[in-house]
Amino acid sequence: MAEMVEEKVESEYSGSITKRLMAYMKPYTKQMVLSIILVLLITVFELLRPILIGDAIDTYIEGYNQPYAIVEKSDLSFQGEYLSKDLEGADCFAQLLMYEDEYYYFTDLNAQESEELHEISLGSVVPESVTKDGMVIAGISGEKLDADELKVLRNNDFHGIIRIGILYTIILVLNLICTFVQTWVLQLTGQNIIYEIRKEIFHHVHSLPLRFFDTHPVGRIVTRATNDVESLHEMYATILIRLFRNSIKIIGLAVVMLSMNLTLALYSFILVPVIAALTVVFKRLSRKIHREIRTKISMLNTFLSENISGMRLIQIFANEKMKYDEFKDKNSELYRANIKQMSVFAIFRPLIYFLSQLALGIVLYMGGMNVLDSTLTIGILYVFINYISNFFEPIQDLAEQFSTLQNAFASAEKIFTILDEKNTILEKENPVILDEIKGKIEFKHAWFAYEKDDYVLRDVSFIIHPGEKVAFVGATGAGKSSILNLIGRYYDIQKGQILIDDVDIKDLSIAQIREAIGQMQQDVFIFTGDISSNIRLLNDDISDETIVKSAQTVNAAHFIEHLPEGYHEPVSERGSTLSSGQRQLLSFARTLAFDPKILVMDEATANIDTETEQLIQQALERLMEGRTTIMVAHRLSTIQHADNIIVMHKGKIREMGTHQQLLQNDGIYKKLYDLQLYSV
Amino acid sequence: MKKKGVLFPYIWKYKIPYVIGLLTLLMVDYVNLFIPQITGEITDGLSSFTLDLNGVLQLILALLGVALLITIGRVFWRVFIFGTSRKIENELRNDMFSKLEELSQTYFNTHKTGDLMTHFTNDLEALRNSIGPAVISSFDAIVMTALVLYQMMVYVDFKLTLLTLIPMSLIAIGGYYFGEEFERRFAKKQDAFAKLSDHVQESITGERVIKAFVQEEKQDKAFQKVNDYNKKMNMRVVKLMATFTPLMDFIIGLSYVITIIYGGYLALTAQITLGRFVAFNQYLGMLVWPMIALGDSITSFSQGRAAIGRINQVFDEIPDIVDDEHPLDIKELYGDISIRHLSFSYGDEFQDALSDLSLEIKRGETLAILGRTGDGKTTLVNLLLRLYDISEGEILFDGHDIKKIPLHVLRSSIAYVPQDSYLFSDTLERNISFGKRNATHEEVVEVCKMACVHDNIIDFPEGYQTVVGERGVTLSGGQKQRCAIARALLKDSPILILDDSLSAVDTDTEDQILENLKKKRKDKTTIMIAHRISTVKNADHILILEEGKKAEYGTFDELMALGGIFKEMYDKQQLEKQLGAE
Repeated sequence: MAEMVEEKVESEYSGSITKRLMAYMKPYTKQMVLSIILVLLITVFELLRPILIGDAIDTYIEGYNQPYAIVEKSDLSFQGEYLSKDLEGADCFAQLLMYEDEYYYFTDLNAQESEELHEISLGSVVPESVTKDGMVIAGISGEKLDADELKVLRNNDFHGIIRIGILYTIILVLNLICTFVQTWVLQLTGQNIIYEIRKEIFHHVHSLPLRFFDTHPVGRIVTRATNDVESLHEMYATILIRLFRNSIKIIGLAVVMLSMNLTLALYSFILVPVIAALTVVFKRLSRKIHREIRTKISMLNTFLSENISGMRLIQIFANEKMKYDEFKDKNSELYRANIKQMSVFAIFRPLIYFLSQLALGIVLYMGGMNVLDSTLTIGILYVFINYISNFFEPIQDLAEQFSTLQNAFASAEKIFTILDEKNTILEKENPVILDEIKGKIEFKHAWFAYEKDDYVLRDVSFIIHPGEKVAFVGATGAGKSSILNLIGRYYDIQKGQILIDDVDIKDLSIAQIREAIGQMQQDVFIFTGDISSNIRLLNDDISDETIVKSAQTVNAAHFIEHLPEGYHEPVSERGSTLSSGQRQLLSFARTLAFDPKILVMDEATANIDTETEQLIQQALERLMEGRTTIMVAHRLSTIQHADNIIVMHKGKIREMGTHQQLLQNDGIYKKLYDLQLYSV
Repeated sequence: MKKKGVLFPYIWKYKIPYVIGLLTLLMVDYVNLFIPQITGEITDGLSSFTLDLNGVLQLILALLGVALLITIGRVFWRVFIFGTSRKIENELRNDMFSKLEELSQTYFNTHKTGDLMTHFTNDLEALRNSIGPAVISSFDAIVMTALVLYQMMVYVDFKLTLLTLIPMSLIAIGGYYFGEEFERRFAKKQDAFAKLSDHVQESITGERVIKAFVQEEKQDKAFQKVNDYNKKMNMRVVKLMATFTPLMDFIIGLSYVITIIYGGYLALTAQITLGRFVAFNQYLGMLVWPMIALGDSITSFSQGRAAIGRINQVFDEIPDIVDDEHPLDIKELYGDISIRHLSFSYGDEFQDALSDLSLEIKRGETLAILGRTGDGKTTLVNLLLRLYDISEGEILFDGHDIKKIPLHVLRSSIAYVPQDSYLFSDTLERNISFGKRNATHEEVVEVCKMACVHDNIIDFPEGYQTVVGERGVTLSGGQKQRCAIARALLKDSPILILDDSLSAVDTDTEDQILENLKKKRKDKTTIMIAHRISTVKNADHILILEEGKKAEYGTFDELMALGGIFKEMYDKQQLEKQLGAE
């Protein structure tokens, strides 16, 4: 049911979420802009890489088909002639032809012959005759070249290739730097943002009134501050920029491909919608199965946790076989879900692979056709072959990133719901600061309800004078504990007034009131740390001496000193080895160390052995000395020694007086007493 | 994987699917090489004009044929190897649970539930990773690298291959070291996150204390430290990633540079064809993945090995409470119990929980045990149930040594109501018939009436089908206790043990339950631990334990007359009954 409430709250936000998420990025605008620029550069580099190789193929490796001019003087000397790629004003030429992976050299050509051979080199080479050392084509004979001769002849092309190699290396280095800086800047930004969000949540949650904690399980709040924030980090640090990058990459690839060759590009895109659609279907399916697996795992975990804890009982009832069968069923449910997931992946991944190969086939066929009718160069075909295999990756990534983004938004909604939780117990702008709290407490016609109109206190009035000890008695639900909660202003009353030292509690500083009140609960909370840090809490100005003295006064010193490490014995809530009596004593020491004016306590009813009980009794008496004490009492001795006993019944004060007075009164107290309704 | 003791039989059982899977993978890797070769042939044919459109089409069809074969092969090895690893995971999990069921309380006292649960989830997951995906990726990486290298050397050029390999090999080596460092930093990051969670959890659980002592601001500051540490540890991981990933990209790029320059030179000088140059580029692309996979699978293997180690510890545990080698051939106990000079301690460093205890209970009698917390009451019950083995003295049932009685017979003959009234998150009906699964609904209702809980149960909207616990109704302490009593009564065993099981039940109901017990348990043995005098006043024997010793023993009247601890307790409780609060 709690989940439903949560759902309902969420829907009110949807509009502003993006805005609020963006607001956290605002202080980091510079970093974001830098990242975007870097990402653009990185994408350009990525696109350039195959183009460079394609260029090397077209201009240099395939560059043999450009004719040479035979000139007077040049850098390139071959077989006693000087060759140049600069054809301007030349009248004598040379030409290379390739046939069956061998190169043939034709020299001393006139302009017409050169043109004819150049034509041939661009199309199909069909020689008239071929010998071991050369060939004849179109009536012109050329000689076959060996590797050394080619090396000399194609020196220029080789230089070009080296230039491309250097350019490629430069791009690699730039890419390295850009990627490093970009990742670093963005991750740091992401970390800073979530650091702030966590700080905000933590601070905000602690400022909320107890009412909030009554209705929100601890586990849920913790998830907000930890896992939910973590998924925001992923969004800020990686997803947003990857989303951008992949979109740019897809667009970039598409633009380059389209500008290189329109029709071939369009053919390349034929399968894109199919792959996109398949990916979407797959994502949905795999998310569904993933959720199913998570449920099965958590069911299995619940089962394990319960049955390992209850193993004693299983063994005592000799029920091993049956529990094993139950476990086996749960386990095979998980197995089936896992197999389902595996099957989906086993089909999807190979299928996508096949489609990408199909796309490659299409590009090769259409490209091949174009190369054959000379409307496309091999280099561009190379670029296309390379791009087509890169094209499907970002499409699949995009689908992945969108679903992560969805998760992040869901987390953001939950976080904002908590951050928007209003603090209902507010201090006045300029609260009254008392010089000293003396400890007078007055309730004037106080009405109080935890839930609307369901009053647990009705028209309650009483006065407690400084130094008095007052005990509240009555059945469960009479409203005793509520009174204790109201004195520390953990809740506000609906009607009436509560006064401390004759000032309305709402006009006072909350911190001052609470510092003056020593509030002790039935269940004592132990923080991770050691004994002394549990007495001192985070107040460093409480000295070690004070701690020891407090412990001694409340009879806690004895057991503490018997611990292996005494005051430095590590303790924690979960791994605690302290008995409930020892916990009580520890909390007394904590309270005493803070030296409150007013003591407020809910006496423990837990089973405590007689010896410890006596220690507690004695400690309590010492604690109460000179302090206004208000308690919900269970022990006979505490009740009898109280200055005033207030008998509550169904939210109303029914009787007031000392033990003797009340017995003489012959009212409810007497009746309760006679009926033995107080039973420990 | 050195420690394969536990794992090996499972893998051996599935050797055939494993072999088929790996063979398929081998086939896929081999056939995969034809793709660049065919692409190369097409580019070559196109550039030298030796190919017409029809030829291109034929080659493309060949390419698609190969792709189809790969596609099918990939589906197959996934099913065979991933499927098998899932099967092994599943069987190991079942067997591990069954193993836990054999282990005694001593084991569960020293092993936290949370840790044990980790074996069932995270450890098994790591293990599965190392026998499934990691096998694939390492096998694939090795085979693929070998095949691609062979192809590069033979089909293209030997020297070029060697040259491009120099940067590539850096990735595998660097990847390994990086992986280790990454693991270390990642573990620290996880740890920092756990610390952060713990801090938030604790501070919210302790909210009341924080508010009462006005510690909010100081908590903010303390949290800032944890938050800072978490950020720092995260950035340490980021630093590594931000360096390594682009660096890897750079190194791969260097291989391409070598290909452009040296490969280009070879192509220029007709030592390799253009098509082979193109194919070489594609081969290079095919090497990147195995290099990364190799590093990953090394990590997976080491995690898997650690996980097997932990899982082994569970399987290697020898159950310490087992049937005697020659157990007695008895089917049920009669109900006589004698305890002779029984002493017991939970371990060397502990004091004796029981010392030199002797007593006799005859069938049909009721023994009540009183004493303070820690005085040995529950220990005695644990020993009677043989949750621990005794060190000194004897426990005899019907004159037989407890160790000679088959464990199953012993426990089936004792019905037990635990102190914590532990119930499972199941329906009430199933909870109550926990000890007797074939019980009819009428039988269940009967015992619930006897335990005075029937009326409560039928008040729930779902009655006996009400689910208890997290996902269902939360029962009050008294209701839980009475359900646990009903559960034990249904077993109708010769011996019944109630371990402080009436503490949360009011006195009237208690009287009624005791009355019902008396009727139902006539001629049967009952042992009850209690705190209240009212619970024990009608018992045949009352035992007062003090620090593990028999302090007082006798009937109610005898003990009252004795004027010792029992009398004192009686007086105190009478007084508290008259006074006291709430």
